[in-house]
Amino acid sequence: MNDAAPIRRRKTVNMHGISSDRMNDEKTQSQYQPYKEAAWGFINHWYPALFTEELPEQAVEGIQIAGVPILLRRAAGKLYAIKDQCVHRGVRMSAKPMCFNDTSIACWYHGFNFDLETGMLNNIVGNPESKLIGKTGVTTYPVQEVAGMIFVFVREDDFPDEDVPPLAHDLPVRFPENSERFPHPLWPATPSLLDEGAVALGMHRTGQSNWRIACENGFDNAHILVHADNAIVHAMDWVLPLGILPAADDAITLIEDEDGPKGQMQWMFTDRWTPVLENKDLGLKVENLKGRFYRTSVVLPGVLMVENWPEEHVVQYEWYVPITDDMYEYWEVMVRICKTDTDRKKFQYRFDNLYMPLCIRGFNDCDLYAREAMEEFYADGTGWDNEQLVETDISPVTWRKVASRHNRGIAKPGKGVPNATKTSSIRMRRLAQGKAPAYKVEKIENVNSY
Amino acid sequence: MSTHTEATLVFQDGVEHALTVESGQTVLEAALAAEAPILYQCTTGSCGSCLARLESGQADHRAGSTSSLLSAEREQGYRLLCVTEAQGNCRFSLAYDSAAGTGRPVEAQCFVNAVERVAGDVMRLELELAEGYWMDFRPGQFIQVKVPGTDVFRSYSMATTAADLPRIELLIRILPGGMMSDWLVNRASVDDVVDVSGPYGQFFLKEKVRAPHVMIAGGTGLAPMLSMIDALRVSPGRTPRILLSFGCQSPEGLFALDQLDLRAQWMPTLETRVSVDRGTPPEGIRVGNPVAAIGAGDGLTPDSVAYLCGPPGMIEAARKHLEELGLAPENIFAEQFVASN
Repeated sequence: MNDAAPIRRRKTVNMHGISSDRMNDEKTQSQYQPYKEAAWGFINHWYPALFTEELPEQAVEGIQIAGVPILLRRAAGKLYAIKDQCVHRGVRMSAKPMCFNDTSIACWYHGFNFDLETGMLNNIVGNPESKLIGKTGVTTYPVQEVAGMIFVFVREDDFPDEDVPPLAHDLPVRFPENSERFPHPLWPATPSLLDEGAVALGMHRTGQSNWRIACENGFDNAHILVHADNAIVHAMDWVLPLGILPAADDAITLIEDEDGPKGQMQWMFTDRWTPVLENKDLGLKVENLKGRFYRTSVVLPGVLMVENWPEEHVVQYEWYVPITDDMYEYWEVMVRICKTDTDRKKFQYRFDNLYMPLCIRGFNDCDLYAREAMEEFYADGTGWDNEQLVETDISPVTWRKVASRHNRGIAKPGKGVPNATKTSSIRMRRLAQGKAPAYKVEKIENVNSY
Repeated sequence: MSTHTEATLVFQDGVEHALTVESGQTVLEAALAAEAPILYQCTTGSCGSCLARLESGQADHRAGSTSSLLSAEREQGYRLLCVTEAQGNCRFSLAYDSAAGTGRPVEAQCFVNAVERVAGDVMRLELELAEGYWMDFRPGQFIQVKVPGTDVFRSYSMATTAADLPRIELLIRILPGGMMSDWLVNRASVDDVVDVSGPYGQFFLKEKVRAPHVMIAGGTGLAPMLSMIDALRVSPGRTPRILLSFGCQSPEGLFALDQLDLRAQWMPTLETRVSVDRGTPPEGIRVGNPVAAIGAGDGLTPDSVAYLCGPPGMIEAARKHLEELGLAPENIFAEQFVASN
């Protein structure tokens, strides 16, 4: 620098003051600082990527999780996941799949050919003797398929293979092995995705908010107010309280098993939580008849389990898979153990004709617009400092702390990936064409047309 | 008779540099002339940055030179290359890889963001690199700060990591009559501009070590440990077990306990022990020295790595203690600070 040049301060963002009267005062906020930094999600975790039926033999799909572009391929019965960003010029290979055999995929632009198992660059279509061959490659991601869902371990490029945990570490606690620890006298043992005969039916769709806002909605006990008018509640005559207040210090139990999932269990419908059925000043009273005794828990990397919901023997799982810092893929999955084909057909029928229209749509649609209503407050980062939390927010605050402690890494902002730049002209053009920013890569269908 | 000898530098990654050392030249001078990626700073035998270990041959510190190396370290073959002459062909090993030295020191200017007393004799100085300046560094390294209004430089380890840049935090012990202390206590204020240079030093976190990490810090020797802990927290893969023992002379001298509590909350693999030499400490804090707080019951394995930072006496005691507990001498890394007025 020239000695004569003036010394200037960098442009910085002002720090916002935090009132000590809030539940989330400055000290509490610092305890979950890592969570506040996780705008792009937690990395080095297992996430659902696709339903089995979305990836038939020979199919290729491109998706994005926590800012990482991922290509999935099923070939000769085997599943593969590699980074969907060619090392050469960054092209998404999944946009126009080009596969010369069952063990590799080529980039359709300049022919860089990658081994699906190792990610290594093993050929270049028009330059087979290149010195670069065998010297570089793309990251690979461990995959696992259970109960009709494909899971991917989304990791940083240098996360070691030997540190990849089992999928069960990123799924809710299982029953009956946890029935004594988390007793539930009001309903039968909750099924797990990993149980034999488990069938998962559901959908996934893209929500336009930060994944944390979506995730916290799922187990936020004060939010049941938004569901008071939902069709399923009235069709079933359910008692859905106006609110549920923590009544004891042990309203929430942390799940921090050495060799298992990390998160929290809420002891709902026990004396540790008090349902609020009436608000006299406002003239409100819940008049319905039938109790719907459910329980919510959440584990890293943001997996909700609603037990005994919407009916006995059924459990709802939800994931809020970060795509970017302002989009997430919302997974709603109902699981039931189906021992016979008849069981399976009955579950499918019930799912198609009751759960899908009234729960996954009706009831949970309401959650989607509620989350998006919060997005702008949080989008520039100031909402995390300015929100004024209250007693019922013990649930999100506890979750933020446990997530800060047990996450396996904070995803860095996506590099060279779709929607990382919010105002690029290509994003604007797609929007003008009526295409919302999406989870899956759009395929180039007609090679002779633009 | 030959007037030069050959010295070979072996870096941790196996890269070797062969040097011709002229008679009268130090090994460091020869290494710099050959552009070997060697770490150094003071060139006067005091800072310890150019530490190497003599593996074979004859080479000793120049007659009449002084160095901060402990005699026990000399006996184990350690040399400070800036005061070392080669008496015949010799071979040195370096505890860092050949890429480490590529982060050459730079000069930069910073604004003071905050200056506050955090304990009886410790100040926290938060700096922010000014527009147009950048300085990358490894967790554990130090910078030199010019005392404003003088030509005097002082060395301090960063308590933050490169991820926190442009913000840099230093923990500085206040010494009676010290020049930096005088500026900090009497004159320093927010928005002052200070000159810094760095990074320096080969006391930095070794990457991808899965074995347990032991850290022993005396007083402001905590600063580089905070930097290393923050780096370990965000490094990919399983976070190793970390045992930090932090000691101060008296309860009034303790600082950064909130920061340690937070890190223990964020990191299930971190255990911290805090000791004071004397006085009646608050609950949870031991009386004794930080070295003795680590014991045989801590299950340290021979491949455990240790980082020590504090006064020379503490480092000497810690090194001896950890070797007795079974740690390999080459896995013990130390940075000692020497008070200057």
